[in-house]
Amino acid sequence: MTRALYCSFLLVLTLYCVGCSNTCFWCGEKPPTNRVTQAELAIRAAVDAKAADFAPVELQSARDKLAQARRMMTAEKYTEARRFAESAQVDAEFAEAKAETAVMRRAADQILRRGDAPPTEAERESRKPLASQPEMK
Amino acid sequence: MRLRRSLHFIEPLVAAFLIAALATGCTAVQNPALEAARESYQKARRDPLIVRNAGATLDKAAQTLQTADRIWTEEGDVAEVEHLSYIVEKRIEIARVIAQRRLAADEIQQPPSSR
Repeated sequence: MTRALYCSFLLVLTLYCVGCSNTCFWCGEKPPTNRVTQAELAIRAAVDAKAADFAPVELQSARDKLAQARRMMTAEKYTEARRFAESAQVDAEFAEAKAETAVMRRAADQILRRGDAPPTEAERESRKPLASQPEMK
Repeated sequence: MRLRRSLHFIEPLVAAFLIAALATGCTAVQNPALEAARESYQKARRDPLIVRNAGATLDKAAQTLQTADRIWTEEGDVAEVEHLSYIVEKRIEIARVIAQRRLAADEIQQPPSSR
């Protein structure tokens, strides 16, 4: 009888550990502080790339998820916190890429709209990549 | 008594059913989010514009897809696999947007007379 009780206790303990691995004290995740910092940096980069103007929905999504990640950190739900932080980071990276592309597209369209007029020498020089420019003495 | 005897037949059947259900649950069942992410990735891999201009981002998506695959096969963690599938989908969207940016940059680099 005692043995049966002992076995069932072990079984329940194992199931608890497997089922709620994020709350189990010896097999849970560590606080994803680094992930949250990376998400914050990605959001800052997106803001610098004018994502508020060109990708507001994606930027807001990233901000909301970062806020959720912080809430989960406070609640010590580290698995959820990591997932929210990773999602926030990738949303912010998408917002940044989208904004940069919109800016580039707009510039290209402006040049196209200027018509078939040949570019001036100064314009041609400014379009060359920096690496190919002659060294300034 | 007769009922008890008939139960003896049922027990191994139930056990076999449970084992079979566990085995198929762990290996054969596909995760819809993971399969959708895989399909998006394969579609992006077939796009020469993305491959040429955003290869690095596509490689990142491939790494995350591999991780999701491994976790699904070894652990069957639905929440983690769905989360990673979302990351894969987003990385592919980023790759697509980067490819479009490079296209616009090329248009700027080329003088209008050469188009």
